[in-house]
Amino acid sequence: MNALDISSVTFCYDGSPAPALRDFSMAVADGRTHALLGPNGAGKSTLMRIITGQLQGQTGGVSVYGLRMPDSKALSFIGCAPQPISLYPSLTARENLRFFGAMAGMSKDQIASRSDWALEKTGLAESSEAAVASFSGGMQRRLNLAAALLHSPKLLLLDEPSAGVDPQSRNHMYDLLMELNAGGVTILLCTHMMEEAQRLCSGLTLLDRGERIYDGRMSDIGNLEEFFLKKTGRGLRDL
Amino acid sequence: MLVLVRDRQTILLLFLMPVALIFFMSLALEGVWADKLVGRKISMVVDNQSRSYQANLLAGKIKAHALIVPVERPAGADVDRIFAEGTAQAVVTIPPGFEEGDRPVEIRFDPVMDASYRIAARSLITSLAVEVVMGVDNLEAVVSGLVVERSGPNRELPTPLQQTVPAYAIFAMFFIAIPMSVGFLREKKDGTLQRLFTYPVSANLVTLGKITPYFLINVVQFVLMMLVGIFVMSRFIAPAFHAGAHPWHMLPVTLAVAAATTGFGVLVAATAKTPEQSSTLAATGAILMGVFGGIMVPHAVMPPVMKKLAMISPMFWAHQAYLDIFLRDAAFGIILPRLIILTLFAIICFYVAGRKVRWI
Repeated sequence: MNALDISSVTFCYDGSPAPALRDFSMAVADGRTHALLGPNGAGKSTLMRIITGQLQGQTGGVSVYGLRMPDSKALSFIGCAPQPISLYPSLTARENLRFFGAMAGMSKDQIASRSDWALEKTGLAESSEAAVASFSGGMQRRLNLAAALLHSPKLLLLDEPSAGVDPQSRNHMYDLLMELNAGGVTILLCTHMMEEAQRLCSGLTLLDRGERIYDGRMSDIGNLEEFFLKKTGRGLRDL
Repeated sequence: MLVLVRDRQTILLLFLMPVALIFFMSLALEGVWADKLVGRKISMVVDNQSRSYQANLLAGKIKAHALIVPVERPAGADVDRIFAEGTAQAVVTIPPGFEEGDRPVEIRFDPVMDASYRIAARSLITSLAVEVVMGVDNLEAVVSGLVVERSGPNRELPTPLQQTVPAYAIFAMFFIAIPMSVGFLREKKDGTLQRLFTYPVSANLVTLGKITPYFLINVVQFVLMMLVGIFVMSRFIAPAFHAGAHPWHMLPVTLAVAAATTGFGVLVAATAKTPEQSSTLAATGAILMGVFGGIMVPHAVMPPVMKKLAMISPMFWAHQAYLDIFLRDAAFGIILPRLIILTLFAIICFYVAGRKVRWI
């Protein structure tokens, strides 16, 4: 079974002359790590929001583990780490996790044990009682990921998970993602970092101007950055 | 809730601002209100230049009257200086020849003195002068059979504390729209709100969870303001706060006001595009509602046009509902229409915000 099936999705924002996504299809097999790449404004974030049911009104369909979205059970399979640091800065790391765990419908005991696990895995155990506002950019990024992992998701959606972090935090994060994938977690990775995509992912979908322009195996591609530029062009994409 | 509680500066502001406003506005209103409610004595210099029997009698009657506080003229002080230094509000000069009717008694008033007090003082001096000239012992007693004063209980003009305690509690409750809308927009901007919608919870539940802490803070704000009014302000400002015959009516009114304020906050959050815009919009909206609604200028002393315009402000309905309780001892049936209007305001705000908002 595929973890994620997207079939012929077209989506247009209100008042926008052109659709943000046009007849877009892709699939991610269960247990795989898949990269979703595209220039700025290609429609990646829109697609992420459609997958999680935040945006609706599109034509076509999205299924998560065979459940057609929007579906609350399917949502419980998804862990999402958005590109912005989506945390409460005045709360401690543990308080943030407690809140997001409650939102995911977890019991207090589950939240406590999974918080310990997630904080340990992201290297934040010693800082768990500190306010997030006092965290470095790398620590905030790792906690952003920890919040997505808390409810043991089967499908992890990561939007620029390593943006603005130092090589130490980045490599720590890569090791964790590979460990999670080895444990059966499917990962859809949205990134502008070609090295990251090539290192972590076995599958690749290229998206540009709302359309799929490539879908295949990462191993078929030699230099991903060259491939990306060849497919999407070298012209600037100022929005 | 925890996020809001951690924002200590905002919480302090929400509680300290109305306390400060209640204290200073009550002090400012105390003098004006005392005049209107219980009447004030007029400080007066009586300058008897005649020293005749009749002039002495008149001077004695003026100084002995209950409305007058006799003040000695400071040595060498002219009338302008007496007024400038606030020594007295009026100077009565009884000139030589007054008893023969050659020269009239002269009254000079402090230029800033209230017109109604001038009229009262002038009538008093006139009637006392008539008593002396006509040889009547007590004119007031003579005419008591002709003119009788009848006035009902005061149901319109609140005491300073009855005005300011609910007024600035309501004002501060509406100010919750600032942290509320800023919080919503900040969460929208940093993606936290988006993240919440990736969990299997309904948007309505998320919204309710966001609104409830502000609603509760509103209720706590009102309770604290009432406690401050009853137990603290009453020590400094007279008359003491009177909560009316049915103080439990405050509960439904406060809940309706809290619904209106949180509705206003959600509407601001849905209308504004940035946190900066929302704080400006919420503050301006609250101040305008306060100006129109009888918060800054009491509704009872507004001109008729403004009294009608006040009805566009939800703060007016909220304040009048509290005055119904404190001042008019009103039955619940009297308060109910005001509660319905406040609840309708809340429903309209939530509905418009719901139609307009794009949370993610």
